[in-house]
Amino acid sequence: MEAPIRAREALGFILFSLLFSICRSSSLNHLLISNAERRIDLSSHIVKVYLTLKVENAGSTPTSEVLLSFPPTQADHLATVEALVTKGKRKKTTLVRLDVKATELPDAPNDAKYFTIYLANPLKSGESTTIEVLYLLTHSQEPFPAEIAQSESQLVYYRDSALILSPYHIKQQTTFIKTPSTKVESFTRVEPSNRAGTEIKYGPYEDHPPYSFSPILIHFENNSPFAVVEELVREVEISHWGNLQVTEQYTLVHAGARHKGVFSRVDYQSRPTLNGASSLRYLLARLPPRVHSVYYRDEIGNISSSHLRTDSRKSELEIEPRYPLFGGWKATFVIGYGLPLQDFLFETSDDRRYLNFTFGCPLLETVVDKLTVKVVLPEGSKDPSAVVPFPVEQHLETKYSYLDVVGRTVVVMEKKNLVPAHNSHFQVYYTFKPIFMLAEPLMLASAFFLFFVACVAYLHIDLSIRK
Amino acid sequence: MVCSWGGYTFIINLIPMHVLLCIVTGRFSSRLYIAYAPLVVLGTLLAALVPVVGFNAVMTSEHFASFLVFIIIHVVAFVYYIKGILSPKMFKVAVTLVVSVGLAVCCAVIAVLIALVASSPTKGWSGRSLSLLDPTYASKYIPIIASVSEHQPPTWPSYFMDINVLAFLVPAGIIACFLPLSDASSFVVLYIATSVYFSGVMVRLMLVLAPAACITSGIALSQAFDVFTGSIKFQLTGASSNTEVDAAETSSSTAESQTDAVKTEKPEETAKNRPSRKSKKKEREHGEKPSTEAKAEKKRLLALPLESSVISLLLLVLLGAFYVVHCVWAAAEAYSAPSIVLTSRSHDGLHVFDDFREAYAWLRHNTDVDDKVASWWDYGYQTTAMANRTVIVDNNTWNNTHIATVGTAMSSPERAAWEIFHSLDVKYVLVVFGGLVGYPSDDINKFLWMVRIGGGVFPHIKEPDYLRDGQYRIDSQATPTMLNCLMYKLSYYRFVETDGKGFDRVRQTEIGKKYFKLTHFEEAFTTHHWMVRIYKLKPPKNRIRGKTKKSKSKTSSTTSSPKRSGTKKKNPWQ
Repeated sequence: MEAPIRAREALGFILFSLLFSICRSSSLNHLLISNAERRIDLSSHIVKVYLTLKVENAGSTPTSEVLLSFPPTQADHLATVEALVTKGKRKKTTLVRLDVKATELPDAPNDAKYFTIYLANPLKSGESTTIEVLYLLTHSQEPFPAEIAQSESQLVYYRDSALILSPYHIKQQTTFIKTPSTKVESFTRVEPSNRAGTEIKYGPYEDHPPYSFSPILIHFENNSPFAVVEELVREVEISHWGNLQVTEQYTLVHAGARHKGVFSRVDYQSRPTLNGASSLRYLLARLPPRVHSVYYRDEIGNISSSHLRTDSRKSELEIEPRYPLFGGWKATFVIGYGLPLQDFLFETSDDRRYLNFTFGCPLLETVVDKLTVKVVLPEGSKDPSAVVPFPVEQHLETKYSYLDVVGRTVVVMEKKNLVPAHNSHFQVYYTFKPIFMLAEPLMLASAFFLFFVACVAYLHIDLSIRK
Repeated sequence: MVCSWGGYTFIINLIPMHVLLCIVTGRFSSRLYIAYAPLVVLGTLLAALVPVVGFNAVMTSEHFASFLVFIIIHVVAFVYYIKGILSPKMFKVAVTLVVSVGLAVCCAVIAVLIALVASSPTKGWSGRSLSLLDPTYASKYIPIIASVSEHQPPTWPSYFMDINVLAFLVPAGIIACFLPLSDASSFVVLYIATSVYFSGVMVRLMLVLAPAACITSGIALSQAFDVFTGSIKFQLTGASSNTEVDAAETSSSTAESQTDAVKTEKPEETAKNRPSRKSKKKEREHGEKPSTEAKAEKKRLLALPLESSVISLLLLVLLGAFYVVHCVWAAAEAYSAPSIVLTSRSHDGLHVFDDFREAYAWLRHNTDVDDKVASWWDYGYQTTAMANRTVIVDNNTWNNTHIATVGTAMSSPERAAWEIFHSLDVKYVLVVFGGLVGYPSDDINKFLWMVRIGGGVFPHIKEPDYLRDGQYRIDSQATPTMLNCLMYKLSYYRFVETDGKGFDRVRQTEIGKKYFKLTHFEEAFTTHHWMVRIYKLKPPKNRIRGKTKKSKSKTSSTTSSPKRSGTKKKNPWQ
């Protein structure tokens, strides 16, 4: 008797799960995009894509999830995805940020990668909403020719699709691509497409089924320097005596077309616009206000070519590498500065302390391939926890500095593929008793005291055997 | 000392000289023996542990003097010992016996030694030491030693710059040392005499002179203070009973006398604390007591008038103060400025020339780790440390042939130079060029030494080929050999395009050959002020192909770029 019941139960379960999966997949099909507009900005080496989607729920059940899909090559270079939705009507519109999470779908065609946007209010059937999506791509412009001489300008390829890759049916879509200059060697034509000035327009295309793809290739001039920090280690050291010491170690590379053959200083100096147009001459770092004791150096000493401008709201450090960086050339350097502690360290209501500091790299227009942020907490602090607005790898280390006994707790956060948009704040919470501040001075004082006591004792005690 | 500097040979020769002097002047004592014998044994053993020295500590002639004196001091000690044991008559017999036998043995040993030493060309002495003994030696035989600016003899102004007031105090100090000539003061005299000679031969041995000059002038000053304060004391004790003196003067002088008293008390205290020294001190006190009494008598005779002694004391103090000011200035201006970062003051502020580090940083980050860099040896250590690249020759000038090879390459025409560098597996050639900003110690100014050193080993490089009527010049009057050598070409490549004339600010002339092309080298990097120029050797395959192309047709040169990329892979058709 029991066995058939069990079988029936199992069958029921399978049926139910099948039904569920159908429901789920059908929920994809419920939605359709009535209008999509995509603007791709190629003016720097970080590709910015603004996507405006008008999503309509054509199904019967309300849904609050909208999927974005990316081809796997793009997904590897994807730095951030942000989604905004406009609220209110007419003039009182406000932008509300929506949650975006990477999701895995089992039946993704051609290994497409998905991101899910969670709407604040579920979309009822028949309703429609407009979502603004911004995503940034790094390392997506491939220099071609891969090697250029000093006098040549840098040409790059950008690969994408004329049609937006989407799991939904798109009724109407247009793509605008903005190039840095009017020099466009070639671009794939997918009718209707045309070029005017620095803009290439693809579309409008009507009624394309889900997962439509139409590869395009644009070959254009991009002379902006491809400043890439291969590795950046930021160390933030908290001293409760009132200072926050930041040390940043950079490995900078020009990731554009590789320099080939001769470097001629006379050409570079006499015709700077024609020669080495894509070379990296200087970098701008935006530092917090009230920065002090800034240094800029490398393994062989101070680099004298830097300027610091400070005002009440921000500090700008303009640094020149020792030599102009051409494609493929590298440079390493260290930037360090001190900050007043009260600007960054706060106390919570439950007597914990937290550091509020920016996460990303302070250099403008720079991609960071690998970033390690180390927050060195003072000796004796406990229960550290970090709150970062995006997923990072975390672990704890111990660092020994001068006169340390138990070592300082270091919260290490690692993240790959960063863009300036990642310069948001993160918090590190910890508990710390102020009495620990006195440990090191007391240690020193007692050591000296003991030394003097020993001296006094030695002078006053007669150790001689013979009287 | 051995670890830090090769100048230790000075000390290991100075000490034996002193010991020998003591023996000759009949000042031999067991103290001397105890001090010297362990020094030689332990010193030689320890010196031999230093890798650079190794067996040189017993093989080279520089160390020979110490061993000779070591033998002599043993003989002398033995003689004194025998003298103590035997009666005077027996001693005389023994002396005649030993001397007759000993002389024969000594002659034989010395003959063998001389034969051994004479068989080596430099008589077992290293070039540097020989050039010290014979100042004309280096310029005759080893240009590499003569080429270094710090091996040149110093000028009189440099003496005054470096030792200033001490130049006048040293003779006084030497005289003061002779007044009672003791073991210690004879050493000081020997020290100053030898160091003055050596510093006269090489500028950098001013380092040896400095402490000796300080010691002797210190002795001179202390003697002078002694005389002046003594005479003040004498005058005051005499005057207090007789006449009245100004209150201010008495106070100052009493203060001085008090300090004197403190000074004299101090050694007594230390003597109490350390019984081992006590005996020595006692001896000295016993020795000095009669002398001080004699001095007191002398003082009465030599006492200076009060006013003049006070004034001269003040003057001496002033002199010392000025000397301190001068030393601080000299240390700050002449010896602290890094030669790698140059600065110039102009009307719009300080201008920094950081070209050396720019070039080294470029080499460090943008060349392969295994690439070798050839440059004149002056930049060897800098390249090794700052650029982290292998160099062909560096500031450790032990391998003269190697440096001569680089010198020959620099003074050869391009093709021959390329072949030399290629055989050395060199990838980059670095030259220092000051013609654009007027940096005088650049490679063109050092070039004659490259020719000389290169010519010393490879005779096909002849110095007269580079000189027009005995003059070194790079303008239109220069010899064709000069205008075609690698150093000229690497320094002035495309220099004329900067100002249209090619005016060299160091030599103050327009350069001789303005427009030329490089066929075997290509410019890899030039720093901001053109002070360092780095060239890359063109790969050989490409060069041969270029040649065959030229003979066939000119059109193929336009399509060279894809072919060049093809040459990177070895034999793509196989």
